[in-house]
Amino acid sequence: MNLKRDLPTSTLSGFALSGLLILTLLNILLQNMPDNIQTAGNELLKLNANEGVANAVTTVVVYFRGFDTLGEIAVLFIASLGLGLMLHSNTRCDIKAESNFMLQTASKLLFPIILLFGIYVMIYGHLSPGGGFQGGVIIASGVLLLLISHKEFEVPHSVIVALETFAGVSYVLIGLIGLLVLDTFLGNFLPHDISQMGMLISGGIIPIIYIIVGIKVGSEMSMIVQNLIKRSDDV
Amino acid sequence: MSSILFIALPLLFGFATPILSKFGKNGVAYTSMLMQMFLLYLAIDLVSTTSSYVEIISIAPPLGISFVLNSASLFFVTIFTFLITLFSLYYLTHRKTDAYENETKFFILLNMLLASSIGLVLSSDIFNIYVFFEIAGISAYILSAYKKTPSALEAGLKYLLTGAVASVFLVFAIALIYINVGSLNLAVISQSFEALPYNIKVLISILLLIGFGFKVEIFPLNFWVTDVYQGSSALVNALFSGIIVKAYLFVFFHILYLFLPSGEFSVFLVYLGAVSMLVAEIVGLKQTNLKRLFAYSSLGQVALIFTAFAMQNKEGIQAALFIVLAHSIAKFIIFLALTSIQGEHKSIHIETLKELNSPFLRAIMLIAMFSLLGIPLFAGFVGKFLALKSFAVEGMFVILMIIVISSLIESVYYFKLSGYMFSKGKKREVLNIGSTQKIVFVLLAFLLIFIGIAPFMISNFLGDSANILLDAKSYSDMLGGV
Amino acid sequence: MFEFLNQQEVIKTIVTIGSMVLFFVGLFGLLTRKHIIKIFISIAIMESSIFLLFIGLTFNTDFIAPILDNTHVNVSNMNDPVPHAMLLTAIVIGMAVLALGVSFAIEYFKLTGKTDINEMNEMKH
Repeated sequence: MNLKRDLPTSTLSGFALSGLLILTLLNILLQNMPDNIQTAGNELLKLNANEGVANAVTTVVVYFRGFDTLGEIAVLFIASLGLGLMLHSNTRCDIKAESNFMLQTASKLLFPIILLFGIYVMIYGHLSPGGGFQGGVIIASGVLLLLISHKEFEVPHSVIVALETFAGVSYVLIGLIGLLVLDTFLGNFLPHDISQMGMLISGGIIPIIYIIVGIKVGSEMSMIVQNLIKRSDDV
Repeated sequence: MSSILFIALPLLFGFATPILSKFGKNGVAYTSMLMQMFLLYLAIDLVSTTSSYVEIISIAPPLGISFVLNSASLFFVTIFTFLITLFSLYYLTHRKTDAYENETKFFILLNMLLASSIGLVLSSDIFNIYVFFEIAGISAYILSAYKKTPSALEAGLKYLLTGAVASVFLVFAIALIYINVGSLNLAVISQSFEALPYNIKVLISILLLIGFGFKVEIFPLNFWVTDVYQGSSALVNALFSGIIVKAYLFVFFHILYLFLPSGEFSVFLVYLGAVSMLVAEIVGLKQTNLKRLFAYSSLGQVALIFTAFAMQNKEGIQAALFIVLAHSIAKFIIFLALTSIQGEHKSIHIETLKELNSPFLRAIMLIAMFSLLGIPLFAGFVGKFLALKSFAVEGMFVILMIIVISSLIESVYYFKLSGYMFSKGKKREVLNIGSTQKIVFVLLAFLLIFIGIAPFMISNFLGDSANILLDAKSYSDMLGGV
Repeated sequence: MFEFLNQQEVIKTIVTIGSMVLFFVGLFGLLTRKHIIKIFISIAIMESSIFLLFIGLTFNTDFIAPILDNTHVNVSNMNDPVPHAMLLTAIVIGMAVLALGVSFAIEYFKLTGKTDINEMNEMKH
């Protein structure tokens, strides 16, 4: 057989090149897997006990790296703003197909349970794995269930805007109060005894900030989902 | 006065806009203007204190995040707040003729852009830099696609795709850094980076170069720039070329000087920058769309700044800082003038310059173009001269030739544009510029001439900034490294 | 019989190989596919592979989760909490950017009817 005509050389050389790239990358990565370096996380674990919070990941997210969390809230805020700008229109279009009777009944039963679970995950975020982001997304998934199963359901725009504004403004204000009282932005100015570790009210501002983050994430994800479903459809 | 207010106040403004819009139609606009003027005052106040210090956020470094204020970062902060204040001043009168729909969102995005650019410049923690990188990026994508016309949406899509790919590579680099070094603080990483094995150092450097290279607009990763500039409106292009790309340049070279203080890859980067400038100027010759032409010119100038920074010596950095100042002001003038012109004519073709009938705008644009060319007595000349001197001092004559040839090619199309502006053809009716906008233009042009005539006023300050940027050891001592 | 699979190095090797394969699958999709939604999915795959690599390489299987309570007070055998915190932020940011991109694509399709990225040339040179 004519080798040049039957085997496509560009594809083969592409495969060879990418195979070489993968092998080089894997070689580099597999040679460098240090497993006993003293990372910053170990130091932060030792400092965690001073804050009196049981879940060390929550302390790192909210307190030690609280500025990154503030930035991430800003990203989510700007993304939902942009989505509302793009997809908002005055002619709403609802889903065309009527959903099944079983889905309608079951979703009405499931939604309070999902909401309760989301709020539980949000509030107990500093005692067990969970927190604001996770709880907010669970609440948004409950709203999505209702949006899919009922044609006329719509979360009122003013409610979402009110929740979002309240949560965002109070987050930055708590940070600024920390700046005034303790001279560091987002300092922990409420009492955080280590003796209270494991109780619901412990850790100072950390559970409060996580609940605020949860409200904000939940309302923004609900607005994103609602905008994507109920956009005008004059294609 | 804490420097956290640079970030906290725009965020508070952004979150509180539903409350502010209850105060009438102009409540949001005037609050934004007042806040930017306060931030400008804060920046000037911080610049006048001479020592560099560290601002702690919630826990002391090297375990936590902190802001480092030294003369280099405060130089950029002052430029950004000053330019954004003038932009808001221009926009407050421009909105009477051509308001953007749903204007509160425009102001929120503008202030988020300011906050994230300042955060990029001040921060000393690599993951915090990534978060601000994303905030700046996402504000820029929405600003680019704001008008919702097909070309604006296409520009926003292209910008978003390249930005998302860039952030994937950046997260990869940050993950590898944390796995191998164990900390996210720039000082700790800079002290431990030398001791890493050679192959992982090269991998992390390549990933950081690709990740930042998309945003710093070097060849071949700058294919998206001209389409994005052409699709967005000219008002937003001023923000892109004057503010965002300078913040990304500063962060890239700040990280480079800290991680590789002995300049191992600097020769490669210098050649990359020179090639980018040559390619950008050659392709820019045959453009007929004005926004696209100025986008190619912007690519060339940014490549020159990149080359000067990559020299990694004091003269080069001082030259680069001069060019940053001159280029930001000049491009601001040009793109704001294009916005005023576009209000009358619907498309920005190069022929519309022949019909421009406003002697004020012609004079202002001529001043900006002379500065970009590098004609003596204007600010651009000082920067280009210092850059060429730093190349000659190091003996890199090939780079010198490439930069000189690129500048000659650039001057060809600038002289062509000036010829069009002053041609004796049929003119449209007189273009009226509002008096507030005239003040903005005159102030910016005056700065260009002032720095061109008297560069010694700021050259000491810039020399100190260059020394601070190069000094990795004192940076890590200040942050209490390992 | 499969006891050797419990060792640290073997687990980390498997995680590295798996996530790199996923990364290159995503990169292949990004470079060769033309439909805009497929490009977004490829970017999401690339991001997920990096997160998998990161968590897999910083996780020590002999240690326990970093949650203190009455019985677990000794912090020396707990896992590192910083990668978890970093990944929470990175996942949310990646999702926000992609949601925004999808909305741009929807609006563009509504106005012009094109989804092929090679046909998006509103701006002719």
